Amino acid sequence: MPGFLKEFLNRNGTGMGLAILGLVLFWTIVLIILPQVSMLDFSFRPNLPPPEIGGPKDIYTAENYKYLIFGPEGGSQDYNAVDLRVFFRTLVAAICVTIFNLILCYPIAYYLGQTKGNHIRIFALMLIIPYWINEILRAFALRIIFGETGVLNNFFVGLGVFDTPFDFIRNDIALYAGLGYAYILLMIFPIYNVIESLDRNQIEAARDMGASWIKIHRRVVIPYAKPGISSGCTMVFMLSAGALAAPQILGGPSSLWFTQLIYQQFNDNSDWPQGAAYAVVLLVTCILLVLAIMRLFKVNMGDIGK
Amino acid sequence: MKNLSFLRLSVWFYLAIFFAYLLGPLIIMSATAFNSPDFPRITPWECLTFEWFSALFQDERILNGIKNSVIIGFGTVVLSVAMGLAGALLLTQIWPKLRATYYTIIIAPILIPGVVLGISTLVFWDRINRMLGLGADSFLSNGLFLTIIGQSTFIASYCMLVLVARLQRYDVALTEAALDLGATHAQAFRKVLLPFMRPALASAAVLAFLASFENYNTTTFTFGEYPTLTIELAQKVRYGITPAISALAFIIVVLTVFAALANEAKIKRQQLVLAARQNASIEELKQGIKLPGFLSGNAAAVALVLVSIATVVVVVTATTHSPAQCIADVKEQKRIEAEKLIQELRAKRDANRAKEDNKEDVQQAPKSENNSGFGNVFDPNALSTDN
Amino acid sequence: MSAGVGVDLESLWIRFGDFVAVRDANVHINGGDFFSFLGPSGCGKTTILRAVSGFLEPSEGNVLIGGRNMKGIGPNKRPTALIFQNLALFPLMKVWENIAFSMEINGASAAERRKRADELLDMIALPGQGDKLPSELSGGQRQRVAIARALCAEPDVLLLDEPLSALDLKLRQHMRTELREIQKRVGITFIYITHDQGEALTMSDNIAVMREGIIDQIGDGKAIYNDPATAFAASFVGENNVFRGKIKRISGDEALVATNRSGDLVARISTANQGKMKEGDDAMMFIRPEAFAIASKGAKGDHFVTAKVNHEEFEGNSFNIFMEGGGGKELKVTIPNLGQSFKDHTGQSLTLEYEIKNSVVVPAGELAAE
Repeated sequence: MPGFLKEFLNRNGTGMGLAILGLVLFWTIVLIILPQVSMLDFSFRPNLPPPEIGGPKDIYTAENYKYLIFGPEGGSQDYNAVDLRVFFRTLVAAICVTIFNLILCYPIAYYLGQTKGNHIRIFALMLIIPYWINEILRAFALRIIFGETGVLNNFFVGLGVFDTPFDFIRNDIALYAGLGYAYILLMIFPIYNVIESLDRNQIEAARDMGASWIKIHRRVVIPYAKPGISSGCTMVFMLSAGALAAPQILGGPSSLWFTQLIYQQFNDNSDWPQGAAYAVVLLVTCILLVLAIMRLFKVNMGDIGK
Repeated sequence: MKNLSFLRLSVWFYLAIFFAYLLGPLIIMSATAFNSPDFPRITPWECLTFEWFSALFQDERILNGIKNSVIIGFGTVVLSVAMGLAGALLLTQIWPKLRATYYTIIIAPILIPGVVLGISTLVFWDRINRMLGLGADSFLSNGLFLTIIGQSTFIASYCMLVLVARLQRYDVALTEAALDLGATHAQAFRKVLLPFMRPALASAAVLAFLASFENYNTTTFTFGEYPTLTIELAQKVRYGITPAISALAFIIVVLTVFAALANEAKIKRQQLVLAARQNASIEELKQGIKLPGFLSGNAAAVALVLVSIATVVVVVTATTHSPAQCIADVKEQKRIEAEKLIQELRAKRDANRAKEDNKEDVQQAPKSENNSGFGNVFDPNALSTDN
Repeated sequence: MSAGVGVDLESLWIRFGDFVAVRDANVHINGGDFFSFLGPSGCGKTTILRAVSGFLEPSEGNVLIGGRNMKGIGPNKRPTALIFQNLALFPLMKVWENIAFSMEINGASAAERRKRADELLDMIALPGQGDKLPSELSGGQRQRVAIARALCAEPDVLLLDEPLSALDLKLRQHMRTELREIQKRVGITFIYITHDQGEALTMSDNIAVMREGIIDQIGDGKAIYNDPATAFAASFVGENNVFRGKIKRISGDEALVATNRSGDLVARISTANQGKMKEGDDAMMFIRPEAFAIASKGAKGDHFVTAKVNHEEFEGNSFNIFMEGGGGKELKVTIPNLGQSFKDHTGQSLTLEYEIKNSVVVPAGELAAE
């Protein structure tokens, strides 16, 4: 290893080489690894007032994790049904949003990737522009549309489809639409990038042999686009499960997102260790789920982020 | 043939629905900025107004948020572009056995939920702060510092991806050539590598700034006493929404469209210039290149000019238009409406009192009054009572 | 012409992990020489060049330039300039900025740089092209700009790493002459890396033939071609017919070899191996296609070869005859076309003769890959 280091410094010059190494070490160690380790450590500690931190009461405990499963000690229920339900609902909903996005975006990505012409640039521009608008504002826009007196309700009531305004927000339709809306681009671009490199002749050849459209997609396009699809799905799933703004703005008052529980622990209850424990649970579960799916579809980590 | 045109038709139909879903909310939101009701809506359309823009510019918290966002944005751009470039440079020359591990580490922040990043940053630096024996007002627990650090953790990964794509096309022989011709490593970096990386660095910087500007999940844990624009917006949106937010959204949408079109026009222009340069003979080059007209063959530039004109028109209308009369009219109309309802109610109540047997009608009446409290002229209930 | 600055490699070893790229190289290059390293790809010649230019630290041994040991001196401090295989012109700088880059590093003013760049552009016959970008030039023009850029740094030694390999055949042949002329004009030492023996033979004062990190032979073009020191040198430089066998008898500088396909033949022992070979040694004998002449039918002796003709081809300036040989490889004979009547020998048996001074015997060894 010192040989590698010496060669690196030789190649980049001592000053430049040290600057590069310094920045990378700062980023990877101080910004990425240590904070995560620190959070993990913190999640195993009791919630203490600042003067007692580091004192005799500051011992390792699994209390915070037990709380998620069993609820407060001496509580009336055997399990922490409220938090656990929120947790599983978040995961299931994030998966649903991911699938919805995939179904919505795949045809668009395919169309953009396989069509040539000037209007494709315009479409691409139209795709990117919404993504540059603040996440909060995008959620706000949907709130205007899905509100009780919003455009949709006025429209449907005006048409006579509903006789009373439908509460899109309480029924979480606004939330799912908002989450899907927020991450469309992250689903389209990875798939588009892969499909663009697919040789059109392959499709022509399959069509020539009499394959139906469904068959062409199932046997030619989708296997080819697999890295892009899994990359897009991973991003959308992780971001949906970890979303905070959309649930806060578009979520119904009675249905919480798991990130909102974490937020409450930190900001309302001031129970940082408990919040850290919940964050660790969220992070670990998401990573395990993604790894499992990647293994299922046989995709590598290196394909993510292309 | 018939089949094909059906297919084409359904493709266009799908595209139309898709883009309606994508752009519709933004257009409707922008439109609500010009409607006079206190609640952002486009139906019913009452009066064209610009008062929400002036309300926006008088909002101290919004202005302060913009200021904090810009400071944090610049800090994040500098830190994450520098770290992203260093990360990309190391990635292209790291020992092959370490490469996969290293890549996983620097790409991970993109996949870690922003909430988790915010919490871990907060917890870690709080602990460092305590270890160093510093107080709660130290630099390390400062909201600006924490937010820049927290955001840079994952924004640097985005920058790294943008930069490494360009770096892969860089020929290391260029740096070696510079060294061979007597340059120091720093000179070779500054005079050869940096100019080559400039377009990617610019993209990375813009991306970093935008990502920082719109970040909520991480910032919401780290901002301390320096709420950014996004934080302020979220507070407002969660606890009561007004068209002033639509006004801000409209400004952002226009700026975004403007920037996107300007970028398109620039790219197109560069292509045209390049084409012209390659066609030009040496004599022409000597005389200086004759640039093609700014607009010729450049649809994006035309669109840019149109958007600019539209903006000017809007601003001019805003300064001259006064919605006071219209608002007064609507108020008057609402008053009349309300009075009419009250009279109806009174008539009903009189009738009920006369009959003195059905009490349900009495309960129904105030309900309908509540519904039309917003003055919903096209409210179906109001219509049915009219009929 | 100035004497120029010489370069010496002293017991140079370069290793990458377990792999030995250069093995105990000892080379003396005269000041003002056009010196080529010739060898197939992967033989370590580029590694030597990178060690001379300073991009590589030798594992053992020394590089001396003008008698000065270069140990610990970086590429930017050495009196060398390198022309890269892909030229490595700075794509975003104009041609004149490229050429005057070394002056920019030294802090020269724009006017000074421009003036010098224009002079060099005149020298490489590209006047008035300074304001173009490298991408707007043709391959040959880029080539010359790369040379001008290197010369602008006023190096004592110019290093060229297969600079012609990217050009098409015509241009390559033209650039050979041009490079040689430039070298004569500036009078500095050129060290040239190539796998193309034509380039090496036409341009060089001296050539080092390399194989798998080892320098097989150093000498001028004629010596390398006519008097190869090893089987590899004999087979790599130019076309050659090989006869494997054992030495039966040695008399003076001639050896009688019992060959595997044509009986006992006499050949000259190459200069480097004289006095080092003895009877019973495995040996290889080489006779070039053009060294044969058609002999009268049935002639026998120790400088006659008889074999069946497989096929013939007419190449304009010569006739090629391919004859059956032992060991699977055909024997090639080239007869110059001097307008003589030439009848087809295909299928017949033909007898050839050669002059002993045009044949050579070396110890058996590895041959160059086809």
